[in-house]
Amino acid sequence: MTTNPSELAERVAGVVGSDRFTSDHGTAKVYVDVSSWVAAHQSLASDMPFFSWLSAIDWAAEVAVGEPPESDEFEQRYEILSCVGSPDGRMVVLSTDISKDQASIPSIADVFGGANWHEREAAEMFGIEFIGHPNLTHLYLPDAFEGHPLRKTFPLLSREVKPWPGTVDVEDMPEGSAGTPSTENPEDAG
Amino acid sequence: MTTADRQLLSRYHSEVQVSVELQTPEMILNLGPQHPSTHGVLRLVARVDGEVITEVEPVVGYMHRGYEKLAEVRTYPQITALVNRIDWVSGFANEIPFMVATERLMGIEPPARAQYIRLILTEMARISSHLLFLSSFPLELGAATPLMYALRERERVLDLIEGLTGGRFHPNFNRIGGVKPAAGAGSTQKKVVQDLPKGFLDQTREAMVQVRSVCDEMVELVLGNEIFQERTRGVGIIPADKALAFGVTGPNLRASGVSFDLRKTDNYLPYSDLEFSVPTGDNGDGFDRYSVRLEEVVQATHIVDQATDLIPAGDLQTKVPRIIKVPRGEIYVRAENPKGEMGYYVVSEGGRGPYRLKIRSASFSNLSILPWLLKGQLLPDVIAILGSLDFVLGDVDR
Repeated sequence: MTTNPSELAERVAGVVGSDRFTSDHGTAKVYVDVSSWVAAHQSLASDMPFFSWLSAIDWAAEVAVGEPPESDEFEQRYEILSCVGSPDGRMVVLSTDISKDQASIPSIADVFGGANWHEREAAEMFGIEFIGHPNLTHLYLPDAFEGHPLRKTFPLLSREVKPWPGTVDVEDMPEGSAGTPSTENPEDAG
Repeated sequence: MTTADRQLLSRYHSEVQVSVELQTPEMILNLGPQHPSTHGVLRLVARVDGEVITEVEPVVGYMHRGYEKLAEVRTYPQITALVNRIDWVSGFANEIPFMVATERLMGIEPPARAQYIRLILTEMARISSHLLFLSSFPLELGAATPLMYALRERERVLDLIEGLTGGRFHPNFNRIGGVKPAAGAGSTQKKVVQDLPKGFLDQTREAMVQVRSVCDEMVELVLGNEIFQERTRGVGIIPADKALAFGVTGPNLRASGVSFDLRKTDNYLPYSDLEFSVPTGDNGDGFDRYSVRLEEVVQATHIVDQATDLIPAGDLQTKVPRIIKVPRGEIYVRAENPKGEMGYYVVSEGGRGPYRLKIRSASFSNLSILPWLLKGQLLPDVIAILGSLDFVLGDVDR
């Protein structure tokens, strides 16, 4: 049985005491305030005991690599997302915003044991401090690694060294390149 | 022995039986990263008291490739090649949730024939992944014979996947809006035939019969083996509530008695047209994790059988723009991969590549329960527990 995402988002928003929720593309998403982040998870834990994942998004107007966002109303913030669900197929994404100046948020590793590693990953990748986390050390990165790779300001070294052609397979070859694109068949190439 | 001897002996005995608690200093033991039982490069730093583990800290990241960052500088069609390599034992299954997420954001739906081809290949990836587990787990416990039987049939399945897609492990076969024209269907772009290779469905049905017969053999060869039972029954028990809180999914969760299968709850592929059961275990130990996967292979062959009968005629792709741009939006799509829940949270800002791609991989969460699970276990059981969890380091490190 799959619950309707919009009904689910509305009900979860009621449980965690929030009035902002969406269900675009079938993904129920509820926005909570950072002050009620832990309490929201605690109030959901008995009804939705399955913890799926936790991560963050770096909303930045300027990016070191990739495409910058199109929208104008861009704020400098980290969005923390966590996904909880239940074995009957219900699933909801909880979201909260924290400022970049003070990138810290209470840890939910006590509520859901699975959040432990996900928070460690988010901490090293985005430089977010999870207050109360039992062991906030590097998970993937070497101990001496400096910087936070998933921040939009973090450059991708290989792209700095050599820009990616990126588009040759869907668009015309850049001017000056020799010949037509080759086919898979060597007979045609001659 | 004379009476005097007996008396002497009993005196020595009483002298020996002084109550001295044997103390061993705590020792730190590094398991891996190059240990064969860790399936790659996992390192376990275990604090052991004699043979009992008091604390364990898994060290991952030796193979971290930063896919989430790499995805931010690539276009949507390019990312398929990346996600293939997350869980390389079932590369095809990794593509599905990403494709479905992109297609839903764009508001397109692939034709029914393409969806069925995706379904068949997903289940074949599940069979090949599970057959590898069914053979490698007994091998780690000392039984080499099941490996020969299971890998023989796995090869048959991989050959079929290769015949259709051109790749044994990394098919890269999905396209946004459908699947690629089959390999070997035409050698030049002009002669491409938009369909499956001739005889593919018949050969698939034959292979499924073979897979079922090897599963029957495995029941007697492995499940009926007393040594295997002794090593796995009651070892590494994961209770259902712990499994859910740690995000353990897939056969590992179902072995703990939770009937949670995304093929039944989410509609990312036409599974609702087909009949199959979701096997669950009772105890959540290594034995249940093995028997659940064994039964899942049998169920997967039935799914493939039904799908090859039901597959409709039609196109392999819907019309999509030549340059794919995805409208603004956020979506989370998850799928039941052989290892568990695999999901992608795609954040699109209207560009040709995602603004942010969060990859939720199954083995990562399945492995995060290790510090809790291995505490208090015996050192020789670590191998049996690790093997029963069926993880792939590429799926952990991403």
